[in-house]
Amino acid sequence: MTRSTTRTGAGRDPVAGALAANRLGAPSVVYFVLSAAAPLTVVAGVITTGYAVTGITGLPIAFVVVGVVLSVFAVGYVAMARHMANAGAFYTYVTRGLGRPAGIAAAWMALVAYNTLQVALYGAFGVATAPLLEGWLGITPAWWAVSLVAWALVALLGMMRVDVNGRLLAVLLTAEVAVILLFDVADLINPAASGYSLETLSPAALFVPGVGALLVLATLGFVGFESSVVFSEESRQPRRTVPLATYSSVAIIAFVYALSSWAMTVATGPGQIVATARRDQAETIFLLAQAHLGPVVVDIARVLFATSVFAAMISFHNTTSRYFFALGRERVLPAVFGRTHTRSGAPKAGSIAQSTLGLATIVLYALLGLDPLVQLFFYGGAFGGLGVLLLIFVTAIAIIVFFAREPHGETLSRRLVAPVPAAIALAVMVWLALDNFWALLGVPQGDALARVLPAVYGVAALLGAGWALVLRARQPAVYAAVGMGAKAATAQNAAQTTAQTTAQTTAQNAAHDDTAQGTA
Amino acid sequence: MLADDFFLVSWDTTGTGKPRLHVRGLALGLAGALIGELVLHQRVIVRGVRLDLVDGHAVRESVADKVLADLRNSPHHTDVRTWLAYLAQRSVAEVSGRLVNSGLLEPENRKIFRRSRSRFFATDFGRAMWPVTRLRLALTRCGPLAPQDMALATLVDACDLTDAVLDDPGNRRAARDYLTTLLATMPQPLRDLSHQVYAAAGDAVLTYRT
Repeated sequence: MTRSTTRTGAGRDPVAGALAANRLGAPSVVYFVLSAAAPLTVVAGVITTGYAVTGITGLPIAFVVVGVVLSVFAVGYVAMARHMANAGAFYTYVTRGLGRPAGIAAAWMALVAYNTLQVALYGAFGVATAPLLEGWLGITPAWWAVSLVAWALVALLGMMRVDVNGRLLAVLLTAEVAVILLFDVADLINPAASGYSLETLSPAALFVPGVGALLVLATLGFVGFESSVVFSEESRQPRRTVPLATYSSVAIIAFVYALSSWAMTVATGPGQIVATARRDQAETIFLLAQAHLGPVVVDIARVLFATSVFAAMISFHNTTSRYFFALGRERVLPAVFGRTHTRSGAPKAGSIAQSTLGLATIVLYALLGLDPLVQLFFYGGAFGGLGVLLLIFVTAIAIIVFFAREPHGETLSRRLVAPVPAAIALAVMVWLALDNFWALLGVPQGDALARVLPAVYGVAALLGAGWALVLRARQPAVYAAVGMGAKAATAQNAAQTTAQTTAQTTAQNAAHDDTAQGTA
Repeated sequence: MLADDFFLVSWDTTGTGKPRLHVRGLALGLAGALIGELVLHQRVIVRGVRLDLVDGHAVRESVADKVLADLRNSPHHTDVRTWLAYLAQRSVAEVSGRLVNSGLLEPENRKIFRRSRSRFFATDFGRAMWPVTRLRLALTRCGPLAPQDMALATLVDACDLTDAVLDDPGNRRAARDYLTTLLATMPQPLRDLSHQVYAAAGDAVLTYRT
């Protein structure tokens, strides 16, 4: 009955019918989100290096806790997304909630964070491909040589806008998750002498010095969940599809990462995981699995690790160049960032800027002889993860202020009951993260690096806010449209038209007054 | 017609036969041009984000009249963006079909990897090159433009195609300044329309997926 009504309705409204045919359902949105999250990169790279560098074992429970916090945060986030012109980026929420200076400050922080996350992946790629190249070709090239090849491919694909094909990405993602779960099962049916210890899953594991490091790492695992709202305008039922996709993505990520990080500790024993990860580094999960699953499965997994890192590189490259593009369209960045490559439609200047940064980083690390896995991939990931955590926190505050000013027809639970606890929890996470950043870097407490890196976001935010004030004084039309993304042009146009109309009306009124006075 | 001119600017009909512009931008630009034709014929008016039908009389051109009929049949859809998205689904086929029927273009269908890609070749070099030439001359010399060419220039710019028209990079800065002036002085419905196309093309970049 419902179906036939719908059909008749669509028949009567060919426009709505034709547009609906192309729309996305929740599973498609979840796939887009998760493919950017690159699960195998996180499990094989971030989690193992996290154990090795921090020396703390509470990661499994940290994933659960952060998953819960982000789910509660997502209630207000998806509610506010419905009222946004450009829903995809945190800074637009901050703009609407806390004002334009705060918004541009957030935008600058986001540019730093996402660019860092992208270039950090070049450190992992050399490591991910080294065992494969050695096994197949018998060569062991320097990490930077392999990363430069990957860099050239990413730069080219980014400009040609050849995103990795959606279907291929879906197949790779499914395979990645399957391999992760297979490894988990292998770990779990072959526990170490300590058996099925729940030590790392117990909340007590969080009450240790340096817990802030775990919270940043866990947040890093969830990066990408925020992009579900990008598809609001393209989803079948935005009010249902987007929230469902967001909660599902967060739940899936929390489950897979908590399970995998716990399974590793079961296989080695919680007391041995740090030592094992320090010895085997990114090879940890493969060596653990090799004993039980045989070399073929492990080789397939290694290939998937490499493709996972590569897909993440492209995904973050595109996210970052689109960030540049949105800001270019708003004229917050020079207008050239708002232009596209004619033939491919790629955001040209943003793509080039991102690639240039990547090349400079690889060259710099190679020249200085720094460690690609720890000092590029892990430090970059940790630093980027901290930036995203800061952005989520500021967004959480913006959501509360936005709905406090005007309910926009949203329920009390979406406006207040969920956002307030989420903001408080995030505040605690941010405080712990900043206070424990030394633990995340594996340096002694009070080390200068642990203070300098977080301060970079402070500087970026100050510069952003300062730039906002410059725009307010010099380019009010641009200032008025901050946070509108691609729709900024229409807002700027409206602002100019209003200004012209006001000027005309004022002139007419003045003329009218003059005439009236003349008549009098 | 405006959309024909846009097609001839955005498609290399005198050389490779392939589009100069990416598919999504091409479809949106042509959709904007189809609405622009009705604005120029004073059948619809665009104000801000709204599109309203003001005169339902036929234009006596089949593609434009089909768009007009759609607008007449769905008066409750007044959002320009909705119409751009809807018309973008068929704009390339409709406008290329119109040019083929008029005898100016000849299609060539090729199948590569099971995907058929149409190429279009002009039968009359001069006529096919005329819109690009006209635009280039007007923009480099800052010459006066008729409303239809104003609309064409701003739609071309909204789709980031201006650089393809101005092959000499030295002319680009002055031409851009002139385009800004044009936008400020052109009739409001056409200006609002090109802003909407620009915003739609930008959003297509931000929500791009394969």
